[in-house]
Amino acid sequence: MNSSTFIATALADGLLTTLVITLGASAVAIILGITIGYIRVSSFWAFRCLAIIYIEFFRGTSLLVQLYLWFFVLPFFGVTLSPWTVGILGIGMNVSGYGAEVVRAAIQSVDRGQYEASVALNFSRFAMMRRILLPQAIRAMLPAWGNLLVDLLKATSLVFFITIPELTSASKQAADTTGNYLLFFAVALFSYYLIARLLVTPFVRLSERRFSRGFVREAVA
Amino acid sequence: MSDSISRIGNVMALKPSNLPVNPELSPAKPFVRFENVSKRYGTYTVLDNLNLDIARNEKVSIIGPSGSGKTTVLRMLMTLERINDGIIWVDDEPLTHMQKNGKMVPATNAHMRRVRGKIGMVFQHFNLFPHMTALQNCMEAPISVLGLSKQEAEARAAELLDMVGLGDKKKHYPIQLSGGQKQRVAIARALAMRPKVMLFDEVTSALDPELVGEVLNVIRKLGAEHDLTMLMVTHQMGFAKEFSDRVCFFYGGKITEQGPPDQLFGNPQNERTRQFLSAVLEAG
Ligand SMILES: Nc1ncnc2c1ncn2[C@@H]1O[C@H](COP(=O)(O)OP(=O)(O)OP(=O)(O)O)[C@@H](O)[C@H]1O
Ligand SMILES: [Mg+2]
Repeated sequence: MNSSTFIATALADGLLTTLVITLGASAVAIILGITIGYIRVSSFWAFRCLAIIYIEFFRGTSLLVQLYLWFFVLPFFGVTLSPWTVGILGIGMNVSGYGAEVVRAAIQSVDRGQYEASVALNFSRFAMMRRILLPQAIRAMLPAWGNLLVDLLKATSLVFFITIPELTSASKQAADTTGNYLLFFAVALFSYYLIARLLVTPFVRLSERRFSRGFVREAVA
Repeated sequence: MSDSISRIGNVMALKPSNLPVNPELSPAKPFVRFENVSKRYGTYTVLDNLNLDIARNEKVSIIGPSGSGKTTVLRMLMTLERINDGIIWVDDEPLTHMQKNGKMVPATNAHMRRVRGKIGMVFQHFNLFPHMTALQNCMEAPISVLGLSKQEAEARAAELLDMVGLGDKKKHYPIQLSGGQKQRVAIARALAMRPKVMLFDEVTSALDPELVGEVLNVIRKLGAEHDLTMLMVTHQMGFAKEFSDRVCFFYGGKITEQGPPDQLFGNPQNERTRQFLSAVLEAG
C-alpha cells in the first residue's frame, strides 16, 4: 500500500470515528439531558438533589478526567468498558450535565399560565410535563442545544486519549508523516466545520420547525 | 372505582363533630362551601375568615375593587393557591383536606386531583396551549386525563367548538385567533372535562370592547343550557346584574355585602358598596 492511500484511509477512518462518536454521544446527551433536567424540576426534594449532584459532577469536573475515570479506574472495580462505550457514554453524560441545566431553564421559562391551565384541566404532573410544558420548552432550548452539540463534536477529539484514533489524531499523524502541517490541519478544521454545518445545524433547524408550530403566524393548513 | 371512593369519602357523614359549624352558613346543602377560609401572604391577610356557600347550579358573581381578593377566591377553589385556615368543600367532600384516622388533615395531591375534577376554570389571559390547534386544545385533557379515545375526544371537542361558534376554526392555532375566539376556545376546553362548577376570572377583561359580547353570549348560553354552578369575577356590572342569582361584593378580603343583583345594585346597604358602584358607573 503506498503512503498516500494509507494516509487517506487513516483520515477517512478518523472522520468516520468522529462522526459515529458524535452521533452516539449526542443521542446519549439528549436523552439523559432531558431526563435529568426533568428530574431536576421534580416535586420530590430527594430527586431534585440527585439531579443536582449529577449535574454538578459532570459540569464541574474535566471531561478528560471523567473519561480517564471510566476507562482506567472503573476496571479496578471490576467494570471494564470498551473504549467506544467509554467514548460515547462518557462524552454523552458530560454534555448531558450542561443539557440538563438547559432543559431545566427552558421548562421554568414556560409561561406560568400554562401550568395553571394544566392544573385546572387536572393533568397529572407527568402528562403536564410531557404534553404541555416540554413541547414548549423544547422550542426554547433548541438554540442552546445547537451550541452544546457543536461543543460535543469538538470534544470528541479527546477519545484519542482512551486509545481511539479519530479525526484530529489522524490528521496529526498524517501531518507528522508528511511534514505538510498546513494541509492536514486545514483539512481537519474544515472537516469539523462541515460536520457541524451539515449535521448539527440541519438537525436543530428541523427540530425548530417541528416545534414552532403555533408560535408563528402562518396561513392555516 | 372513583364512585366507591367518593362514597367512602362522603365526608358529610364522616364530618368530625369537633369542627365548628358556622351559623352564617345556610343549612341547605351547598355545592361549594368556603368554611372559615383564610389566605395570607406572610403577614398580609388577603382573605379573612371567608364563609361562602354556593348552591348547585347557582350563578354567583364576585365584584369589588382591585386587590380585594376576588381572584384569590377562585384560585383557592381551583387549588392553585393553598389556604392557611378553614376548609373548602365541593359536592359534600372536603377539597383542601381529607379524612385520616378520624381527623381532618391537609389533602394529598391525589385527593385534590380527584375532587378538583369537578371544577373547571377560564382565565383572564386564556392560557391556551400555543402548540396545539383549537381542536387539540379541547382534546388533550379528555384523552390524557379522562382516558377518552381519540375519536370520542374529537367528537366531544368538535361539538363544543360548534357550540361556542368556532366550528370553522378547529384547525387554527391560538395565534391565528382573535382574543374573543381564544377565550371561547378556552371555555370549550374547560367544558370538555364535563365540570360541575365553572370559574371565570375576568374572562373579558383582556378583550377589545367589541369582542366582549361574543364571550358573554357563550356564558349566557352555558347558563341556560347546562347544569353548571358558576362563580365569576367580573367588572361587567350589566352582565352580573342580568345573569347572576347572587352578587357578592368583596372589600379588603371580606364579603362586605351580598344579595340578589336587583337588591345589591338597586339598593346597596353598605357604604363601601355604594362608593364602589358609583365609581364603576362613573367610569362607564
Ligand atoms: N403571590 C402573592 N404574594 C403576595 N401577595 C399576593 C400574591 N398574590 C396576590 N397577592 C395580593 O393579594 C391581594 C388580592 O389579590 P387578588 O388577585 O385576589 O385581587 P383581585 O381582587 O382579583 O384584584 P384585581 O381586580 O386587580 O384582579 C392583592 O393585594 C395582591 O397584591
Ligand atoms: Mg383578579
